[in-house]
Amino acid sequence: MAQNETQHDSRTLDINKKVVENIDNGILVLDDSLKIHHFNRWLELHTNMKEEDVSGKQLDALFTNINTKTLIRKIKTALRLHSPTFYTASTSRYLIPIKVNKLTGTSFEYMQQDVSIIPFNLEQNLVALIITDQTNMANTNALLHSHILKIKELNTELIKERDTIDKKVLFLKLNKERKISDLSQALLEQIYYDKEELLGLDYLHRERYNLDIGLQKKILDALLEKRVFEYEEKTQTAHGEEIIFKSSLVPEYNAYGEYLGTIIFRENITDAKHLAQTQEKVLATSRSAAMGEMLSMIAHQWRQPLSLINTIMATLKIKTQLNKLDTETMYSSFEKIESTTKYLSETIDDFRDYFKPNKLASEFLLSELFDNSIFFLKDEMVQQGIAYEVNIPQDLHIYTYKNELIQSIINIIKNSVDAFYEVESTKKYIKVKVTELDSHLAISIEDNAGGIEQETLKKVFEPYFSTKSNNGTGLGLYMCYAIITEHLKGHIVMQSKNGTTTTLLELPYKLIQGEHS
Amino acid sequence: MYTLTEDERDVLQELMNVAYGNATAVVADMLDAFASLSIPKISIIQTEQLLETFDTLKSTSYFFSTQAFSGEFNGESAFFINKESAENLAKHLELESPEDIDDAILELTNVLTSSLTTKLAEEMDTAVSFSLPSISQIPLAEMHDVVTFKHYSQVIVIDTDLNFKDQQINGKIFILTKDESIQWLKTKLNTILELLI
Repeated sequence: MAQNETQHDSRTLDINKKVVENIDNGILVLDDSLKIHHFNRWLELHTNMKEEDVSGKQLDALFTNINTKTLIRKIKTALRLHSPTFYTASTSRYLIPIKVNKLTGTSFEYMQQDVSIIPFNLEQNLVALIITDQTNMANTNALLHSHILKIKELNTELIKERDTIDKKVLFLKLNKERKISDLSQALLEQIYYDKEELLGLDYLHRERYNLDIGLQKKILDALLEKRVFEYEEKTQTAHGEEIIFKSSLVPEYNAYGEYLGTIIFRENITDAKHLAQTQEKVLATSRSAAMGEMLSMIAHQWRQPLSLINTIMATLKIKTQLNKLDTETMYSSFEKIESTTKYLSETIDDFRDYFKPNKLASEFLLSELFDNSIFFLKDEMVQQGIAYEVNIPQDLHIYTYKNELIQSIINIIKNSVDAFYEVESTKKYIKVKVTELDSHLAISIEDNAGGIEQETLKKVFEPYFSTKSNNGTGLGLYMCYAIITEHLKGHIVMQSKNGTTTTLLELPYKLIQGEHS
Repeated sequence: MYTLTEDERDVLQELMNVAYGNATAVVADMLDAFASLSIPKISIIQTEQLLETFDTLKSTSYFFSTQAFSGEFNGESAFFINKESAENLAKHLELESPEDIDDAILELTNVLTSSLTTKLAEEMDTAVSFSLPSISQIPLAEMHDVVTFKHYSQVIVIDTDLNFKDQQINGKIFILTKDESIQWLKTKLNTILELLI
């Protein structure tokens, strides 16, 4: 029995010794004055020191980096506690300096160590230090730490951006149940509500008086189908003011693709709406101005035929009084009167046609427009001695709203003609040239009626701007600008130099249908 | 969910007092100064309450260290010490580098955890072993993000103050355990109670 125990003990001792020799840890036995009592093979291999050389020596004398006071304190505490004390790699880095022999993938020169100080022999005040290589872990931690710093940095940026968005972008968020879950600061400032007053409210229920039934249904459908949807909504601020928003529903998903709710981005279009209404009023005024212009042109056109009728009538009257009226003269006079009145009537029809807005775009010859459609202006040009030169490819067609274009052209040419009343010139001309470009065609209308000052040029397309002293409404070119840019989807600019003025129009060959508003 | 009866709490308090007496002596030795530990206040709370408790720790920056212990009675201890106290500790130990301060806090954590749980285990006829403690310094605002706390359902809170003659070092230690350890603890406490009667 006793023999068995001895055998058992020696076997245990053998196992312990073998384990201590071969374990992948440093094992060091010290007393509380730091004198070395054991130094295992692992330590021998890693420090290049032999146990027989270091045995009985002071550990802190061999390794001068060691803080003697701290180590003694830890050893005493372990002995006093009957429980281990520790050094950790994360705070103390290492106890025994061992160069890391792996060159790649490490940011440490010395092996990072966890050290457990275990009470070993209480009578002799001996402790065992178990040293574990934690370099890999420390590397991972260092990497993690740098990533965490990066993430924090990004997070700060993100928060900053979120703050900016909150301050600048108008939006509210709805949860899956369509209840208001958040509102941006920017939106709250426009509607004068506190966030708490609106949070948790059902969006559609809250806006039920502001949205018509049809729109409510469309919004609900879009929300249910998690679709993007745009609409206009009128709502009231806390102060009772009416405000118009252009709203866009945008479904919100998390990183895993789960539906979180819907964000409603809003744009305040109240001012734009008011502006559009004002613009409509200006356009209406400009239409009546155009009518006035038309009447004056009709009057102009009528003057000559009317005086012709007048002359015929006077001749007939005199001949009757002198009893010299023969049947032939009478019939030819009647015929002349008849044809002249027919011409008068046609003039009205022509003008009415031109000033009636087209519902549909049509295809027509540009040369025809500059030739026949402005016949009445041609008369005026002849009277004033203005040479009218047209250079348009014969077969060039354009597909657009014809009458709108005619109105604009009339306006531009009429402006040129009127300008000549103010100047004395011998070689008056108005030149029209059309150039075919790849994407569009360019029309230039040039006159030499003295030109326009640069300061004035900047304002010619503004409403109610006029240089004409008596009969200008200041709406002619404004209307042209509106028609060309908005209805005909083109561009218009005016240039002036050396006494000439050129109006340049760019128009698409084919206007896309449905754009007429 | 477990709660301690008044008797159980009394026994635990008694055991803790003994354990703390031991800890005080060790801490005094370690710090080479006369130290006293206030009589610990013991309670069992839910983890959610724990996070609320952290919120009431008013100081902005806390050192926070944890140490796991294993055995029949197992869990993790969490030790909180504010910046001012940590600095006082460092001053007392004549430590200068931040690493040394961290090391000293870990040592204090280890001493408190070991004395408490070893003594407790001893009284309850079992043994515990300890892992290396670890430390982090986190703002209280981020405490909710410490996911490990969420693994524990209930927490034994042992609230104590360490007092030194010349400077105050205040710390709080929380023993975090899972339901089965609390069940085990209750059984043990009742065995002790029966022996006493």
